[in-house]
Amino acid sequence: MPKRRDILAIVLIVLPWTLLITVWHQSTIAPLLAVHKDDGGDSQRDLAAGLDSKEYCLSERDIVEVVRTEYVYTRPPPWSDTLPTIHVITPTYSRPVQKAELTRLANTLLHVPNLHWILVEDSQRRTPLITRLLRDTGLNYTHLNVETPRNYKLRGDMRDPRIPRGTMQRNLALRWLRETFNKNSSQPGIVYFADDDNTYSLELFEEMRSTRKVSVWPVAFVGGLRYESPRVNAAGKVYGWKTVFDPHRPFAIDMAGFAVNLRLILHRPQAYFKLRGVKGGYQESSLLRELVTLNDLEPKAANCTKILVWHTRTEKPVLVNEGKKGFTDPNVEI
Amino acid sequence: MRVKLKNVFIVYFVVSLVGLLCALLQLGQPCDCSQQLQAERRRGRDRLLAEQWNGGVRGEPRAQGGGQALPTIYVVTPTYARPVQKAELVRLSQTLLHVRALHWVVVEDAAAPTALVAGLLANSGVPFTHLHVETPPESRRRPGDPPWLHPRGVEQRNRALRWLRDTRAPGESGVVYFADDDNTYSLRLFEEMRSTRGVSVWPVGLVGGLRFERPLVAGGRVVGFHTGWKPERPFPLDMAGFAVALPLLLARPEARFDPRAERGYLESSLLGALVSPAQLEPKAGNCTQVLVWHTRTEKPKLRQEEQLQREGRGSDPHIEV
Repeated sequence: MPKRRDILAIVLIVLPWTLLITVWHQSTIAPLLAVHKDDGGDSQRDLAAGLDSKEYCLSERDIVEVVRTEYVYTRPPPWSDTLPTIHVITPTYSRPVQKAELTRLANTLLHVPNLHWILVEDSQRRTPLITRLLRDTGLNYTHLNVETPRNYKLRGDMRDPRIPRGTMQRNLALRWLRETFNKNSSQPGIVYFADDDNTYSLELFEEMRSTRKVSVWPVAFVGGLRYESPRVNAAGKVYGWKTVFDPHRPFAIDMAGFAVNLRLILHRPQAYFKLRGVKGGYQESSLLRELVTLNDLEPKAANCTKILVWHTRTEKPVLVNEGKKGFTDPNVEI
Repeated sequence: MRVKLKNVFIVYFVVSLVGLLCALLQLGQPCDCSQQLQAERRRGRDRLLAEQWNGGVRGEPRAQGGGQALPTIYVVTPTYARPVQKAELVRLSQTLLHVRALHWVVVEDAAAPTALVAGLLANSGVPFTHLHVETPPESRRRPGDPPWLHPRGVEQRNRALRWLRDTRAPGESGVVYFADDDNTYSLRLFEEMRSTRGVSVWPVGLVGGLRFERPLVAGGRVVGFHTGWKPERPFPLDMAGFAVALPLLLARPEARFDPRAERGYLESSLLGALVSPAQLEPKAGNCTQVLVWHTRTEKPKLRQEEQLQREGRGSDPHIEV
């Protein structure tokens, strides 16, 4: 019948074009669209514009290297649909070096694709300094705050091992994750606790992205050693801890030495860092023992033989010349 | 031939089929099309370009995509071996990696270039030059000496100045900045200094016993300095608080840091040979914003390590920290 023939003709006309456009769209138009999007903020894409968009093949190795050494000229890297999101939880508190520490941590995080920064202030209210800093970085972030009650805080500079700093802030972030993400959602994610004064290599973030439950790796400058590390046997399983300070802790590892799969966090909603009565060095264990056993730990960083994170600490600046009344203009933010 | 509709359709189908076949052939190749691969391919191009920079700039500068070249910022970083060296350089490199048209000149205080620094620079993705010069024994700090007894990094910075004078062409645009490996730099700082014509200055946070030190600016010119320590110095600035235009350095070949300068006068020993304080160009909102901080990193406590090493059970020295 004529009608059917017309329909057939229309289908035959439209079909090749839709197939063509689907293929062409992915190859040529996508880079141009991305360029326009990025130009909204910083226009640092002059490099890409000058290059031709002809395709060439990347080998497996190239892709790994590319993911590791990120975008040189745009920040942050475009969101990818296939990479698990890394949720970096950073507790922070107000002191002279705070802005500097967070600035250089942000400069690091700006290289990592699919990163979500959860910054939790130890304060009564979210401060304008942090609000502005987060907004100016361009990172994907969540800004939270909870004040540690005075009798739980560290008093001055004295280290009181019964009160680990940052605990309430990290717990708040865990609670936020549990309230925000559905337990049954398939959105893959990794949770990492990153203090604002440590140093992180970019390779570390790529190592932790493949975490299935809890992954571990060595950390430099902790426990009075060049580095502390998990002990890994020939089968690639963690069986102990190479530390001098209390190696018999259930998890003798620093906060910066492990990452947890988001699914595990969501499926064990009772797992938090213990706030009270925690011995020095046992804070990490208080969380991890609710999540995994030693056998489930996944060693990263070449079976725990490479150092990818350093527990650096920043000196407290000597502000002697400020005097009692302050010498510098307090309205200038540092 | 008359243009019949049938012929038009035939031509159309043939053209579509040919196009479709080409697209399908492309599908057959391994490098095909997901959004992520596209982004990664772009990153790959950028990285390849950065690598070409690495190869190219250790010799001559590379013009930026045709048209007017952006002045290159030469960041001079003296460094020396100590436990936190790798960590410091890694996080500094992560900041520098964001800045376009930047060339990192790292000068080790060593008799020969070390594998640690060489490997780090090669992996960083930042265009670099790796130099080394050993501080002579009389200027070297002995254990127990306070940190301010001898000025540090002098020979290394001078070595970098010599490299610039040996390798840069006289008319070349560029800005030279002395960035120590433990300070903290915001990304905006580098864009502020790029327009330096002579010597530009800005505030530095957490230095001189103050929250910040800064030049005092009136009418767009530097009229004084706000500092709490030795304000009688000709240039009471920190090393991180100024940048020098490359042509100026090349035009004054005798200008260098004086290793015998009194404590706090190191910056003045260079700047005095280049400009007068009135000629300084204020940046960072007429010197009202702090874009760089003089942070210092604690020496890590390695007591257990030293104890183990005394017992012959130290950590594996092959694992680089």
